[in-house]
Amino acid sequence: MSTTAGKDRGTAATVSRGIGTAMLALLRKSWFVIALLLLWWIVTAAGWVDPYKLPSPGDVLGTLGTLFTERALLTDLGATLLRLVEGWAIGVVAGVVLGLATGRSRFLEEGIRPVIAGLQAVPTIAFLPLAILWFGFNGTAVLAIVAFGTFKPMALATYGAMHQISPTLLMAGEALGAKGFFMQRTLIFPAIVPSLVTGLKMGWSFAWRALMAAEIVVTGAAGLGGVLELGREIGAIDVVMAVILVILVVGIVTEQLFFTRLERWVNRRWGLVGAR
Amino acid sequence: MSDQPALRVVDACKTYERSEHAALLPTSFEVARGEFVSLVGPSGCGKSTLLGMIAGLLAPDSGTVEALGKPVTGPGEGRAIVFQDAALFPWLSVFHNVEYGLRAHKVPKAERRERVENALGLVRLDHVADKHPYELSGGMRQRASIARALVMQPEILLMDEPFSALDAQTRTILQDELQRIWIETQPAVVFVTHNLIEAAFLSDTVHLLSSGPGRIVKTYDIDITRPRDEADPALLELRHDMLDRLRAEVDDDVERRAQAAEVSAL
Ligand SMILES: Nc1ncnc2c1ncn2[C@@H]1O[C@H](COP(=O)(O)OP(=O)(O)OP(=O)(O)O)[C@@H](O)[C@H]1O
Ligand SMILES: [Mg+2]
Repeated sequence: MSTTAGKDRGTAATVSRGIGTAMLALLRKSWFVIALLLLWWIVTAAGWVDPYKLPSPGDVLGTLGTLFTERALLTDLGATLLRLVEGWAIGVVAGVVLGLATGRSRFLEEGIRPVIAGLQAVPTIAFLPLAILWFGFNGTAVLAIVAFGTFKPMALATYGAMHQISPTLLMAGEALGAKGFFMQRTLIFPAIVPSLVTGLKMGWSFAWRALMAAEIVVTGAAGLGGVLELGREIGAIDVVMAVILVILVVGIVTEQLFFTRLERWVNRRWGLVGAR
Repeated sequence: MSDQPALRVVDACKTYERSEHAALLPTSFEVARGEFVSLVGPSGCGKSTLLGMIAGLLAPDSGTVEALGKPVTGPGEGRAIVFQDAALFPWLSVFHNVEYGLRAHKVPKAERRERVENALGLVRLDHVADKHPYELSGGMRQRASIARALVMQPEILLMDEPFSALDAQTRTILQDELQRIWIETQPAVVFVTHNLIEAAFLSDTVHLLSSGPGRIVKTYDIDITRPRDEADPALLELRHDMLDRLRAEVDDDVERRAQAAEVSAL
């Protein structure tokens, strides 16, 4: 709240000063990254390593540019992101619905929850061969893996959250006449939103990891994983590194920028931080 | 007004699961329509348990609770409850918190708006209707919680230590406001508190409970005219009386426990 208010009121001078200090802070925090890049550059420029094992930063950047212009890496990126969002969304909805159900019914809970908890102990990618046999060697199998990878943590997060709802809040709702679906919709669901958002973020990172692993194996359809695998096949290490860079950026941008912000907003709105 | 009481509790008792002794021994009392009754007693003597049974959130093991002539089988039907920690829904604004019970009862929107505004006016919270609970002070939260109960226009208002988390000043202010609101709206009230002067100040009747396990040990009728003044010497005297009685109860209790320990040691 205070930061947005500050921005609103700030003059051009204070804004530019703000940007200056922010840049400085960023530099201070990323010294290790800068050192690594520098080392990378020195090692390659001095010719201490075989460029087929480690290309220079410049080469990788150049390749990245070419990939975007000539091999339509943007299409691959788009296909990957679409699959990620689709699979994640399916997994989230399924996980939340099942989590809500298991949290409400003793019968469902006792039967289903241990199974999901058990499945959670198996890395999602181990189910890829199964998905390929069911759905074929194509994007659908990958989508299924992503959805499944999201579903497990999401169901467990939802279920766990339902057991942490304050009993007084539930009693207050009950005393005010809430019951059945109205209670679910207006009390139980909103009460678990903060934990759900944490679950969403976790689900997303699980989905992202599962997706990359699956795409490297199932290379038929467009996708970043396919390009990565292609790079390995033709021995183009600069392509491999360029794609890793893209994966890194996508991961950081979505997890850190989007989800961390969403989480902060919800926590503030739900009075979990900055309260009192 | 009919002469039927607002509340009739007959031999209601409760022992919680996995608990060795009763939380509340068979307890009986009545609350007339529009009467203000307080329950006072040491911590753990079963006051919240009793209130929960009246609210319909908890079923008595045996005995009955009747509200407005009908046996209580669940929440609702003219009863509203205010909890010690306000228990506001953190994701809703003050306005929507107060509106919640009306929505649950499918009250039409226009009527909801009017009633919420009235209730917020009663507790003087009109100016923070759009704020969220975390933006309020403890006293404001408790007012919002009272408004959320009042908006249901309850004939029976149950309050479980509503002011105990507040500082002394805020508490005094809210006691005055509660007296005013009660005079204006005239619900029957069952008010749980640890604060003897608060009980004496607000109530027509005070029931003293003893602990381990709980039961009513003494009843005080207070017929000082309203509006009352907290500094009234008659109230202070009453407080003294109740305090002595409570001390004796606690001593008794300690003695009884000591005896029980001796017996079990043999
Ligand atoms: N859900 C529960 N399960 C088991 N025992 C309980 C439960 N709630 C209360 N008790 C026990 O029942 C007894 C009465 O509790 P209760 O909350 O009614 O007391 P109280 O008079 O409201 O106390 P306080 O003044 O501290 O709020 C206590 O011994 C308590 O430990
Ligand atoms: Mg209590």
